[in-house]
Amino acid sequence: MDVHSTHACTPRTPRGRRHARRATALLALGAATALAISGCAAGGGSGDSDDGGDKTLSVWLPGTNQAEIDLVTDTIVPAFEEETGAEVEVTYVDWGDISTKLNSAFAAGTAPDIFGHGPAATADFVANDRILDLDDRVAELSQADRDDLATALPGGQVDGVQYLMPLSLQGYLVMYDADAFTAAGLDPDSPPTTWEELKDAAETLTERNGSTITRSGFLAPSQAIARQQTFATFLFGEGGTLVNEAGTEAEFASAEGADALDFFTSLYTGDDAVSANLGEDYLNAPAAQQPLVQQTAAMTIQAPSMMQQIVDAAPDRDLRVMPPLSFEGGDPAAFGGAGPGLMINADSKDPDLAWSFIEYMLSPEVSTEYTQGTGTIPVRASAAESDYAKNSPIITAFLAASPDFQTNPNVVGWVQVRDALDKQLERALNGVATSQEALDEAAAEADKILGANG
Amino acid sequence: MTSPTLAPADALAASAGATPPPAGDDATQPTASAPRRRRRWSRTAIFGLVFVLPAALYIVIFQLVPVLYGLVLSFTTYSPLSRSGPEFTGVDNYAELLGDADFGNALLVTGRYVLQVLPITVVLALALALLVNRPFKGVGLFRSALYVPHIVSLTAVSMVWLWMYSQTGLFNEVLGFFGAAPQNWLLDSDSALNAVSAMRIWKALGSNMVLLLAGLQSIPRDLYEAARVDGAGRWASFRYVTLPGLRPMLVYVVAMDIIYLAQGFAEIYVLTQGGPLGSTTTVNYLIYTEAFQYNQMGSASAMAFVLFALIIGFSVLAVRGVMGRQK
Amino acid sequence: MTASVDTRRASALRRMRRGHAPGEGRVGSIVVLVIVTVLVMVPFAWVVSLSFTPQSEAFGSVSLFPAHPTLENYATAFFDADLARALLNSAVVGVVTVATNCILAVLAGYAFAMLPFPGNKALFYTLISTAAIPISVTLIPLFLMARGIPLVGGNDILGQGGSGLLDTLAGVILPYIVMPMNIFLARQFFTSAPLELGEAARMDGAGELRIFFSVYLPLAKPLIAVVAIFSFTGVWDDFLWPLVVTSSQEVQTVQLALARFLGSGNVQYGPLMAGTVIATVPVLIVFLFNQRSFISGLSDGGVKG
Repeated sequence: MDVHSTHACTPRTPRGRRHARRATALLALGAATALAISGCAAGGGSGDSDDGGDKTLSVWLPGTNQAEIDLVTDTIVPAFEEETGAEVEVTYVDWGDISTKLNSAFAAGTAPDIFGHGPAATADFVANDRILDLDDRVAELSQADRDDLATALPGGQVDGVQYLMPLSLQGYLVMYDADAFTAAGLDPDSPPTTWEELKDAAETLTERNGSTITRSGFLAPSQAIARQQTFATFLFGEGGTLVNEAGTEAEFASAEGADALDFFTSLYTGDDAVSANLGEDYLNAPAAQQPLVQQTAAMTIQAPSMMQQIVDAAPDRDLRVMPPLSFEGGDPAAFGGAGPGLMINADSKDPDLAWSFIEYMLSPEVSTEYTQGTGTIPVRASAAESDYAKNSPIITAFLAASPDFQTNPNVVGWVQVRDALDKQLERALNGVATSQEALDEAAAEADKILGANG
Repeated sequence: MTSPTLAPADALAASAGATPPPAGDDATQPTASAPRRRRRWSRTAIFGLVFVLPAALYIVIFQLVPVLYGLVLSFTTYSPLSRSGPEFTGVDNYAELLGDADFGNALLVTGRYVLQVLPITVVLALALALLVNRPFKGVGLFRSALYVPHIVSLTAVSMVWLWMYSQTGLFNEVLGFFGAAPQNWLLDSDSALNAVSAMRIWKALGSNMVLLLAGLQSIPRDLYEAARVDGAGRWASFRYVTLPGLRPMLVYVVAMDIIYLAQGFAEIYVLTQGGPLGSTTTVNYLIYTEAFQYNQMGSASAMAFVLFALIIGFSVLAVRGVMGRQK
Repeated sequence: MTASVDTRRASALRRMRRGHAPGEGRVGSIVVLVIVTVLVMVPFAWVVSLSFTPQSEAFGSVSLFPAHPTLENYATAFFDADLARALLNSAVVGVVTVATNCILAVLAGYAFAMLPFPGNKALFYTLISTAAIPISVTLIPLFLMARGIPLVGGNDILGQGGSGLLDTLAGVILPYIVMPMNIFLARQFFTSAPLELGEAARMDGAGELRIFFSVYLPLAKPLIAVVAIFSFTGVWDDFLWPLVVTSSQEVQTVQLALARFLGSGNVQYGPLMAGTVIATVPVLIVFLFNQRSFISGLSDGGVKG
């Protein structure tokens, strides 16, 4: 608690405490009744806030998938506890929900030893000195291990320093309906390799009723947040970048950026539009409602776990995964990289124990089993040899594509920059602004945010 | 009640006049309110304070103190992640809101949202409450069925709504049945807020109905009989017995609906994430983003207190409107 | 006018018999009621339907009846998420909340309406205005207070050294012990209760607590029903506070258990909907049980009317 006595709530604490003392009598009734009823609970769960104690490790894992929970509870934790003699308390929180929980815990000094989050949150934790620098520990891994993790590690770095250890990779590739290709006179065995070719193929595949598109030739995510990722996909395919090396200035308002956004917009507009329903979130729609399953699209950008669900929902169809694409003359790129991962609280009483837990989670067998349970892409390149990858053409395709993954930068204030960009992209896509106008405006706002934080 | 002009704060309290008889109300009021205006610290006043104290102490400590903490934060910059604590910046956060186009837009969206949801829920809920305020076999089932939307988990049922609004969903299927073209309910900035409103009305209808039903129960049956003796028809007895008798509960329903609608967030978070083109970005949606996505508690708090002031202002106006006739 | 004043006085002691507007056009209104009820039930009908639908078919068609109905979702919901434990926890939290609100909030609302004291209005408006501040702003200070409650969870008298009410059911209950809106509701309800009854009892020498409990509380059945229902639904539905204040499986509430099936990009529709049905039923039972107090005293006079 020593560190936390100086924290955040200086103006409030004294007053709050005085009231709290006066309240003791009042609370006695309510709290005591409730406590009596919940006696079992009061004893059971105090561990995560008693600061480690003797070899206690509290962990907030970033997922709620049942396979993951079973694996961690039944296999990983018992094995780790036996090996180290420590007691591990795991809480499962979806990473989409974890910010509120973490913020409150940090403010009160009750954050766990290890917690998981998406890479986008890392820079803010670093800026506030909340998580440990893991460089030295990573350096102690064997060279073979580091090579094996090479694709995953950069996504967990801020200014080149490792802070987050990814538990999985995430990525987005194009999935296509091979039967629709054949029916339209295209060769499903040699799918497009550039975005230009893809657009041509999409025009062939698009079906209309009057002026209404009844089957989109190609769909890319265009809802909030995801549309920034789609833009980044095209931007990377043009060879462009989002921010400069130092993370102090936006670089997306470039010629490449404008071309990428023009391309994105052209999917929805004009007589040769190939995509319907701008703004619709098909990415998170139920499998049976997916455009590929409903046959309302012939090609869509997807994440691996949904691809698997789509295959399960439409077992009779020939659905395949395309390698990463580029624009003509560019290098292929796909949006992807480190997925949610683990960080060590800077105030952890036993960082060595915490690190051994992470090391254990990332050991070849455990990590493969973990990603298999969650349906995500393994962090280790060597997992390509595992049964998990060998039995799944989808995972094989993503592992093969992983060297071409590029992702958003880990800079302080990125979430705000992303939202500012996202808002302007929406304007351009809806024809309210031109690509260049939208990007210039977003860049101006981004520079302000990055400048203030950098 | 004896004072002819009511201060804004008194408007709510004026409902204490309550259940005025079918015609005219001046005669009863002095009698009714006389005991409430005795000596300042009479025995009943002391008991009043004692009865209020446990609840009041609790709320002051666990609700008001956090609110005041937020008020202090609104004059600072503060990230819950930071180790250094809030930094006092005076009225900067408020000043920034003045020129913030997004905030202005969010205020307009919030206002429109409240104005279009409020009357519909209240009127519909009142109609339903009247319908289920009759004793017939199975009325309990109707009441329960109508209350189901209020108790079913929003997150789960929002997935059904998302699907109903989707391209191949129920609404477009129904439109197609009548030969109409499918609509982009949630994807069109002209219709998105209406679509969100529809779900909110659906969700809030049951709770308003239950409140008004309880209100109807507190109208003495004799008043209807007296009205009938006086020759009042159905409309007259609704107008002169039901409505005045419901006033205290209507005041509650309208005030609470404004307070909660103006803080609309969850339904937007699950259906539209504030889009398209900001057409469903309410103030509370901005506050959430600012507080938990950007970790900027200071400016989030400032927005919250601007919203707070507007909510209080509008509640008082609306309650005065409901009370209007009584004055 | 005089007649109605007399009626009012004469009826004061018979107020326990609450009335309703005499029902006319009954068939027409029941038809309307049936139509509205069916429409209102549509989304929930799909929740139920999906709870019997396998994952790969969820939302695949507009048919209300799944092609391959399954009970597996219920098994998954029940065993994977430890729903039984969560239901029990939520029930405990709900019952305590109902009790504290029905006593403390109703008593306070009664006093604000019937026993005014100097400054009561200012206090009243201060208390209910706290409902107009979004939870985003008050969440963290409330969390700090839950951790700093003295003498519980290893804390000393100053609220230091331990975890306070964090990760306990008492911590989950903390923000709900008295909901300001319930005080407001109770006050509105009692403003239309007859003052004469209390006056008469006072003249007979009854104490204030006794007047409240034996004179006015029996009149307030619909109020108690509504406060109970709203308090119960309020805590039953909440997600954000339990998410923040609890960590261990032993104290998770129903909504946290359901969140198990709401992984980002990996929603398990069947178990989620099955869990939702399971979670809705207890509240519905509470409601069915409570709504009877809306009819009490009504059926005797009402049937004839």
